[in-house]
Amino acid sequence: MKGYVIVSFIGLLLCNDEGKIIDKALFPKETRVQADKLHLLSRGEVIDEVKELCEKARSLGIDQLVLENPLIAKAFAGYGFHNVKVEAPNDIAKIMRSQLLEIAVRLGYALNEDEAVRMLHEVTYNLSARKIVEAVEKRDLLVAQAVSCLDEIEKVLNILASRLREWYGVHFPELGNLVKDHEDFIKALLVIGHRDNIKKREVLEKLSLIRDKVHKLIESPGTSLGADVLPKDVEIIKEVASITLNLYDLNSKLRRYVDEVMGEVAPNVKELIGPVLGARLISLAGGLERLAKLPASTIQLLGAEKALFRALRTGTKPPKHGIIFQYPEVHKSPKWQRGKIARALAGKIAIAARVDYFTGEYVADELKEDLEKRIKEIKEVYKEPPKKVVERRPKKAKKR
Amino acid sequence: MKVKLYEGMEGVYVVELEDGSSRLATRNLVPSIKVYGEPLIRYEGVEFRVWDAYRSKLAAAFMKGLKTSPLREGLKVLYLGAASGTTCSHVSDIVGHKGRVYGVEFSPRVMREFLERVVKYRKNVMPILADARLPAEYAHMVEEVDIIYQDVAQPYQSKILVDNADFYLKRGGWAFLAIKARSIDVTKEPSEVYRRELEVLKNGGFEIVHVVHLEPYDVDHAMILTRRV
Ligand SMILES: C[S@@+](CC[C@H](N)C(=O)[O-])C[C@H]1O[C@@H](n2cnc3c(N)ncnc32)[C@H](O)[C@@H]1O
Repeated sequence: MKGYVIVSFIGLLLCNDEGKIIDKALFPKETRVQADKLHLLSRGEVIDEVKELCEKARSLGIDQLVLENPLIAKAFAGYGFHNVKVEAPNDIAKIMRSQLLEIAVRLGYALNEDEAVRMLHEVTYNLSARKIVEAVEKRDLLVAQAVSCLDEIEKVLNILASRLREWYGVHFPELGNLVKDHEDFIKALLVIGHRDNIKKREVLEKLSLIRDKVHKLIESPGTSLGADVLPKDVEIIKEVASITLNLYDLNSKLRRYVDEVMGEVAPNVKELIGPVLGARLISLAGGLERLAKLPASTIQLLGAEKALFRALRTGTKPPKHGIIFQYPEVHKSPKWQRGKIARALAGKIAIAARVDYFTGEYVADELKEDLEKRIKEIKEVYKEPPKKVVERRPKKAKKR
Repeated sequence: MKVKLYEGMEGVYVVELEDGSSRLATRNLVPSIKVYGEPLIRYEGVEFRVWDAYRSKLAAAFMKGLKTSPLREGLKVLYLGAASGTTCSHVSDIVGHKGRVYGVEFSPRVMREFLERVVKYRKNVMPILADARLPAEYAHMVEEVDIIYQDVAQPYQSKILVDNADFYLKRGGWAFLAIKARSIDVTKEPSEVYRRELEVLKNGGFEIVHVVHLEPYDVDHAMILTRRV
């Protein structure tokens, strides 16, 4: 026989296929407990009431249970009820929903409908509050930290890679000239070790990326300009190289993490300017909330504080952009267009951050479209650099 | 100043100001408590909350001549995309103590404001932190409803509405659907997107009762009033 499990704020009801309640496992009558139970249930956990209802169903000769929520169904299966089906929505559950509060009263769970409503109100409030705390609390600060860490690792990587080039260059300077990319260089260094090894076949095979170049090197007449070294000299260089390579891995892991969490925390900002730059802005502002409350003109200059204060102190030109300089359309454009593009961009970022913080809607596509249009306009209107004459305007009399 | 019932609409009022202009309002369910900074007005011993058509698409729809409204005292409403509760609070005013509003919102941050501004004070509002695209996930908290109000600003809105109606809407129930106006320009051919949305609604058993454009209050949206037959 089939049994329908109805989950509600009063507990679990078991119905037959005519919509009659044939058994139940009700929650203790206390808002907090009710909310607790529902919370656990909706995460698929086996709570006592699930066990109780399973036993009751079995003793009634029911061999199949039907539910609407797949996770809650899992809880039943998790307790060992073999035949659990999800039918969502199903008619029996719908009948129950049409008399949810009457049922609470009929079963003596609430005195009257008003009390049932009050209970439902409190349970739903409690449940939501609990989920809020669990959800994204301060995840924006996590992502801000992660991106700062990313920046630091990148700095270290640059330093270490340059060091390795110089160091290994004492022995085998030709490789450094051959492989420009730091990471590839380090990989090659690790495979080769002592420069004589490049003549070995298995080493060459592992160098597939730069094999052709190495071939040329081998074939070219003359010997290396580097010094000969001892095995222990090579070993220590390789040790540093391999840790540096690990750092490259960590670097890409961090990037993936930033990308993911930005999608949860600030999807519009992420889509508009990319996860890393977006996270840097959140970090500079000190959180998404602060970023969302900054005027566009401030966002435009985030990260350029030093230059700004210098300008204020010395009366030179103020900066036109802070970190958003990293946005390709800003730094790739001619100098005289950059300020205008930066301003347009900052305006859109301000909107994206506000929407992310306050409403959570997805508006990035429109923002991007508008921004592209605006950039195109700027590029057309300000195609030519401003004439020099303009800059040679006679200076005004000294101001105090 | 005068306050009158909006003709043909239960629970919706028109405030006529001294300068001849008029604003919408609802009767405040919890006197002296504001939700989003709206002015409170006392008239003949009753407190009203001014309903800003620039902030609420439903108010805009009324201002733009929505002719009928199924909203009444005592009804149950499933509100998808409650946000921080601007419109939801007015719906709560209209359905009153005997009615109920189930407010679904999926952004935790926004939900927090919803709780603080609205749910705390209004016992007829049940907050549901969940994704409206997955109606099965809140089946343990929602009863059958008379009306679904949907404003989620998501693609495939009609599907979301139909799926929720399958779970929660009673037979003959109504729905409000705020939809991107960019896709519905009556002066031109309706766009493919809009056509598809309507198709989904019709296949889901809905008939379109009325469509109003919300500009100048909201340049981006139209309100569709629809009924499940
Ligand atoms: C335009 S706002 C609604 C404004 C509200 N109706 C008012 O007038 O006061 C849209 C809301 O829907 C929420 N939302 C978007 N997609 C959702 C989904 N799939 N489930 C639940 N809420 C969603 C957003 O987080 C946002 O708060």
